[in-house]
Amino acid sequence: MRLLTHNTLRNNSAEANGKGYPLKISAVEVRVDDASEVGTDSEREIAFVKGILDMLDWKILVKAAAELGLNTLPPTLNENLVNDDNFLRALYHVLMNVHLVKGMLTCPDTGREFPVTDGTVDFTMEEDECENVRY
Amino acid sequence: MEHHSEISHNRYNVLIEFAHIHLEFQRPELESVLSLHDIAIGRDCIEVPLPSSIPTVENYRPFLILSFDYHYAKEKFNLDDDGYVIQSDMSRFSKIDRTKPTIASVLSRCTLIRSAIELWGAGPSFDSCVEHARQLSSGCAGRITLENCMKLSSSWKITIHTLGTKFNREEQNDMRMKFAFFNLPGKVQMVNPTNEFLLIREVELDPKGTPLSQERDNFLSPPLAVYYGRVLGGIRDWRGNGRLDQFSLKKRSYLGPTSMDAELSLIMTNLGLVRNGSFCFDPFVGTGSILLTCGLRGGYCVGTDIDIRVLRGRSDEENVLSNFKQFRLNRPDLIRSDNALYHRHYRMNKPIYDVIVTDPPYGIRAGARKSGTKEEKIRAIPEDRRHDHIAQTKVYPVSDVMGDLLDVSARTLVMGGRLVYIIPSMRDFDVEKDLPNHECLEIAHVCYQPLQTELGRRVVVMKKVKEYDPSLRESYLSSVWINGPESAEKCANIRERLLEAAKLKPGYEEKAAYRKKRRQITREEKKKQRAKHV
Repeated sequence: MRLLTHNTLRNNSAEANGKGYPLKISAVEVRVDDASEVGTDSEREIAFVKGILDMLDWKILVKAAAELGLNTLPPTLNENLVNDDNFLRALYHVLMNVHLVKGMLTCPDTGREFPVTDGTVDFTMEEDECENVRY
Repeated sequence: MEHHSEISHNRYNVLIEFAHIHLEFQRPELESVLSLHDIAIGRDCIEVPLPSSIPTVENYRPFLILSFDYHYAKEKFNLDDDGYVIQSDMSRFSKIDRTKPTIASVLSRCTLIRSAIELWGAGPSFDSCVEHARQLSSGCAGRITLENCMKLSSSWKITIHTLGTKFNREEQNDMRMKFAFFNLPGKVQMVNPTNEFLLIREVELDPKGTPLSQERDNFLSPPLAVYYGRVLGGIRDWRGNGRLDQFSLKKRSYLGPTSMDAELSLIMTNLGLVRNGSFCFDPFVGTGSILLTCGLRGGYCVGTDIDIRVLRGRSDEENVLSNFKQFRLNRPDLIRSDNALYHRHYRMNKPIYDVIVTDPPYGIRAGARKSGTKEEKIRAIPEDRRHDHIAQTKVYPVSDVMGDLLDVSARTLVMGGRLVYIIPSMRDFDVEKDLPNHECLEIAHVCYQPLQTELGRRVVVMKKVKEYDPSLRESYLSSVWINGPESAEKCANIRERLLEAAKLKPGYEEKAAYRKKRRQITREEKKKQRAKHV
């Protein structure tokens, strides 16, 4: 699970009352990709980050990164940072190359836990949680 | 003099030859790939009717002529086009091109195109083609084309492509000599010449792509059309070059029962406009074959699936991720979740995906699953059992699968983003009324691939044209099927329909009884085996 993915997740249950995020991360195993493993194409990376910047909740990202042991992100974004290619490349690295391999995601409102195994988040719902979602 | 006046030598003309497969996909794929370069047929180039010696040809012709204004072509493309442009390492294939692409590098992304040639002459007969070629330098584009070729050409050859008709060596040489008037400098070289010229003698094909019989009363029937031109991309037949081989199913480390043919997923990613840096999502990722193709085209991939067994794969070496690793791609993010409950797990405050490409579960091979129990009374799972408990899944009707897919797509695609999905359908199917709809999505293409006589699958391409309003979710979902349950029926329950159709066939009863008996025998054998080992 990448930090980019984590930024989009929530536990939107009836109990959580419309909130259910950010999911708190308890990390057991984290892996950081070495650039040589996947090859770098900085133009592509910067373009990608610029594209999703709008959609990110920055506060969630900073907190989640800290939970994975990364404390290098600035507390807020500003004009200068957003136009700085070096910053964007570093941001790409944080969003895309850091993986939570094993751990737990916990809903801040209800305490419901979602395990992460082999990098895959498990959101399977139990029978009693499956409210009738159609109509 | 009768020559095809619409193919003007004042313009830059390209003849495209398609493979005789996936016929309905060819034009949509070509249009999609062209649009990746901001080229639209009708606006930036025109399609010129093919010359024809027969007034009405019923059968499909695997050729298409695109005609460009010369200055446009010169601005847009690198027309020098020498050497190989088709790279076999697709993972680095589509870098954002600062320099101008060649026409071959643009077109070769189409999996269904065999070759493209710079058209020097064309006509409904051999002589008219020669005559048309003689006029090449009379047009401004033709003159420059010829001049450029004279400069570059140090070696060349002419290949004759006669679609099923055999000509002996002498006859072939005669044909070649007819074009000798070009007086090209340099020598004839059979292996790897600088330029290869192609002389195509088109004949009518039957629906399967086999040339219709050419001989009648010992006379050879005249060709349908004849074309002559310079091969683009340095390779006569892009498909024969083993380009697709590396993606062939055989090579992937992990395959499941529903891994679709690699070619179809390549076509789907073209229809979806996946490019370098696209953010791609597959809500029913399964073994990840489609997502892998997105990755190969430079996309960032996210996949979800409710089935943990498929996500985990068979072992550490054989799973979705090992496929990506095999091709040195960034790993996709995988999430085990139920697409029917998408809104339960994701923030969806802003649309994020450029492309959603998927092969939804439709109950024929992989059964569709949705969370929730079949029972009436629901019991809470005790806390200590929760994490290992595998919740019961219940059948997820295809009509709901599609409704949820469209709604999630409408919500999470960026404006102009594309949804590409497969839906099984009988041949008899009203594309207007029987496909699922969504107010925010518009159908761009529907392509049919026949699988059996009456059953096939359709690949549907939709694009997001309207912003999603969350307060209208229920209204969106309730208007997915125009004809209500009737249309949903046509896509759903194909298994039942196939079963019903099979039951009507003669011999069904006997076959079913035989199969039942065999299953019984196998069960008994297994029991005996187990008893022995106890």
